Amino acid sequence: MKKRIDKISNGVNILELTRSGRVRVLVIGNHSGIIQSMLDFDFLSGKDIPSVLGIVAGNRKAEKYFFGTKEILLPCYKNIQIASEVLGSKVDWMLNLQSGRRTFESTVSFFDFFPKSLGAHIFAENVPESHATELISRFGKKYFIVGPSGVGLLVPNALKLGAIGGVDAVQIKSGALTSAGNIAVGSTSGGMTNELIHAVARAGKRLSFAIAIGGDRFPVVSLTQIFALAEADSQTEGFVYFGELGGVDEYEIIELIKAKKFTKPLVAYIAGIIDEAFDEHVQFGHAKALVQTMDESARAKREALRSVGVIAPDTFPQFLDALQKLPGGAYTAEEMDIEPLQGRQKSILSTRKVLDIDEGRIFVKGKKLLKGKENAFVDATLGALLGKPVHSPVTRAFTEAVFEMLIDHGGNVSGAVNTMITARAGKDLVSSLASGLLTVGPRFGGAINEAARLWILGVVSQKTGLEFVAEKAKAGELILGIGHKKYRVGLPDPRVKALAEFATLLKKHPHYDFARSVEKATTSKNGKLILNIDGAIAALLLDILSECEGMSERELQELADAEFFNAFFVIPRSVGFIAHFMEQKKNDEGLFRLPDELLFVREEAPKKGKKK
Amino acid sequence: MSRVKITEYRAKKLILGDSYTGVSIHNGKIALPKSGRFVAKVDQGIKKRFKQGLVAVDVPSTAISKSVSLWRKKGFSHFLVEPYVPHEESEEQYLSLERVRTGIRILHASAGGIDIEAHPELVKTYLINPALPYMIVPGIPEKFLKHLVEVFEKNFFSFLEINPLVVRGDEVYILDAAVLVDSAGIFFVKNGWSEDDIVEGKARHIAEEKVQALQKTTPASLKLTILHPDGGLFFLLSGGGGSIVIADEAELNGVGRSIGNYGEYSGGPTREETHLYAREVIQLLLNSPAKKKALVIAGGIANFTDIKSTFRGIVDALSEYAGILRRKGVKVFVRRGGPHEKEGLLYMEEYLKKEKLFVSVYGSEAVITSAVDDAIAFIKK
Repeated sequence: MKKRIDKISNGVNILELTRSGRVRVLVIGNHSGIIQSMLDFDFLSGKDIPSVLGIVAGNRKAEKYFFGTKEILLPCYKNIQIASEVLGSKVDWMLNLQSGRRTFESTVSFFDFFPKSLGAHIFAENVPESHATELISRFGKKYFIVGPSGVGLLVPNALKLGAIGGVDAVQIKSGALTSAGNIAVGSTSGGMTNELIHAVARAGKRLSFAIAIGGDRFPVVSLTQIFALAEADSQTEGFVYFGELGGVDEYEIIELIKAKKFTKPLVAYIAGIIDEAFDEHVQFGHAKALVQTMDESARAKREALRSVGVIAPDTFPQFLDALQKLPGGAYTAEEMDIEPLQGRQKSILSTRKVLDIDEGRIFVKGKKLLKGKENAFVDATLGALLGKPVHSPVTRAFTEAVFEMLIDHGGNVSGAVNTMITARAGKDLVSSLASGLLTVGPRFGGAINEAARLWILGVVSQKTGLEFVAEKAKAGELILGIGHKKYRVGLPDPRVKALAEFATLLKKHPHYDFARSVEKATTSKNGKLILNIDGAIAALLLDILSECEGMSERELQELADAEFFNAFFVIPRSVGFIAHFMEQKKNDEGLFRLPDELLFVREEAPKKGKKK
Repeated sequence: MSRVKITEYRAKKLILGDSYTGVSIHNGKIALPKSGRFVAKVDQGIKKRFKQGLVAVDVPSTAISKSVSLWRKKGFSHFLVEPYVPHEESEEQYLSLERVRTGIRILHASAGGIDIEAHPELVKTYLINPALPYMIVPGIPEKFLKHLVEVFEKNFFSFLEINPLVVRGDEVYILDAAVLVDSAGIFFVKNGWSEDDIVEGKARHIAEEKVQALQKTTPASLKLTILHPDGGLFFLLSGGGGSIVIADEAELNGVGRSIGNYGEYSGGPTREETHLYAREVIQLLLNSPAKKKALVIAGGIANFTDIKSTFRGIVDALSEYAGILRRKGVKVFVRRGGPHEKEGLLYMEEYLKKEKLFVSVYGSEAVITSAVDDAIAFIKK
């Protein structure tokens, strides 16, 4: 750790590490303009991959952005922990765009999960002072944190961390953000940072780096540290600084210069002469007056800077002239085509690309049937549903078995009844099928997915079956995947028994084991509360996907969130419903009507004129 | 984040809890015990109250309502009444706590009172931080200091000054207290201070009042201060730093006396918010008796404030007064950069030309002071 602290405090390596490619960013909170501008900066800098790895925000799984003209999906993570599970130690920087209320907590969490990162920019303006000082004491020596407040850090051609330099491509070009030079820019004002960046570009010079310190009282990276960074940076040959009235930071710079700790040419503008036009000046309490007698007015700070040789002109136009005289070659305007980046339209839908649409296939050759792939339909189905091919024959065989088993369960079940009624009302195939499918829900056919959720929850929470059942009973919730009308302990469901054999093909089957432990708890109360076919399919499928297809618990959870497991019912049962439809059409018994004997449960309406 | 003052009443209540017997008077009658001696004062964060006659010391309860009604006539509305603590001047101490970068800095002097600033040599400085959380300050009971630091942290104080403080054994008397809280802490403070305890600077003009009210309804930053109502140079400035540079330019060019207003709209206000803000400035301009009047719409190169939508808001406001502005010979000068700069500037330029208000419109390729320089030349002519 000692070594790291040295790195940060002498600063130079932050810039060098960044220039050498440590630019991968995790964004906390969403601000599409800023994020898109970072991607545009990357693209216009000629990078092959975007610096933004992902976003911690909201409940979405992904957000659409452009990299150049190509649309990309940036992954979104629910929280920082999940991001760290996926991204490991790949992240170099955090861009925290959350409100000041939430910044402290998320920043601490980020450095907990990404201890090897280099630093951050905190965008929020309303971070409490005590949070800022706490961040300074915890992280100030270990990480390079720009903010709270301000617009961030820019290392030309390498990293744009925040809104700095503007958020549209026009400004990336006009500010010459993608071309590196030798002038450092530092400013207490976010807007003036961009003004200075453009002034440097207009002067035919280029930046070594730029930082908006932010107008907060306690920025984590202090002005002194930024000057030390500029001094240590071999690329930097001159510094352009914008400051305002109030505060005494500039006197620290003067101390640095006096101590020869900052020796490079410095051009500074201290704004705030306008304050002299006000009747009341910025007032300070006793404490300030007692501690330091340094004058915080713009005029006094200017004079003080001049006294140690800093060029600190009176007017802004004079300041721009002085800037012109700083070292650095005369660059010409960037040759950069930003036209394609203008007016990009986001697609309305994102969808996977079906790769083999045009692929030539051969089924019959030389008047002979070619031997097809085994389980070809199942293989293609799983590939489509999971978005990637499956590897294991176990996965294919299990799916094949489930599909076969679930095609039909007779004409008595709700979905089949609805299909048949609709068919007899004279409707077409699709309407009748839809009618049947619309019946699928928690009580009919839709239990596989819910059961999968429960088994995942059980495995993740490491509860025993008994605890789990007690909890559910207390909350008055049903456990889907448990219970059968006909089968019971001693009279097992033959389909479950058959599927259960798949467990013997696996090294480990935690979900199945958990489901069985739940069954043990429930059957001790009621013999009918056995693991049913839905519960068994869910448990075994989870274990197979985990072991044979290498899926993590998080990926399984995502599948459950997308109702993947219910597809295992819907796909085969559609076949069954269609068969019922066709059968009805063939028999054509006419419109279905319930017999007259219905139980009327409606209360009689109260008679008129009488009030309760 | 900013440091804002809370009432002395709330400050003392937070420090002393239920044992504090002071009463806050805002509206309505004052119910006080008949006997005893009291201190009454205006509680609106005003400095040097003694010198302004806004404190009544060692008075009977009968005298309080007289003082209060006198102060009410002067336009004050918040008062504090508390029991008078007789003491010797030699007992007075000075104590302050302020949040600094490295922790909380304590200043203490064994003498206090209003002349403390004249005696910096008496002041001793201490620093407490996570590594050194408590401190012995000779003359201050340890328990009291510890409690003070707790209150300070819990309530997101930035600055606390007790002057004078009287200590007798373990007993502590806070005769006068001033507290600045960190306004960003408001979400985290529980059972402490609230919005109602914040002392607001008096708006001196109806336009300032309207902008203050508007500010409360938006996350954007809208500020307005009137400098010279009879000036000829009125500003619609955007972005904190850039606004100062542009206003500085006018001051430095010797037309400081002509500056009508100062202020800024920044932090991405909406079209409607910008409209309402701009309307106030335009009205100020129209009300000024100056012969030559210029409206300067200027700012730096924005990072993320949208130029087009904010300019639409300004044009909405200009449209309300275009006829009279033209008849009075008002001219408009523009310099701005940022997202959608080209579209925004073109839109503004076309509008100003159509209404014959146009003199110059500059973008980010021009120096930030270009528009104000043109405007200064115009009003000087």
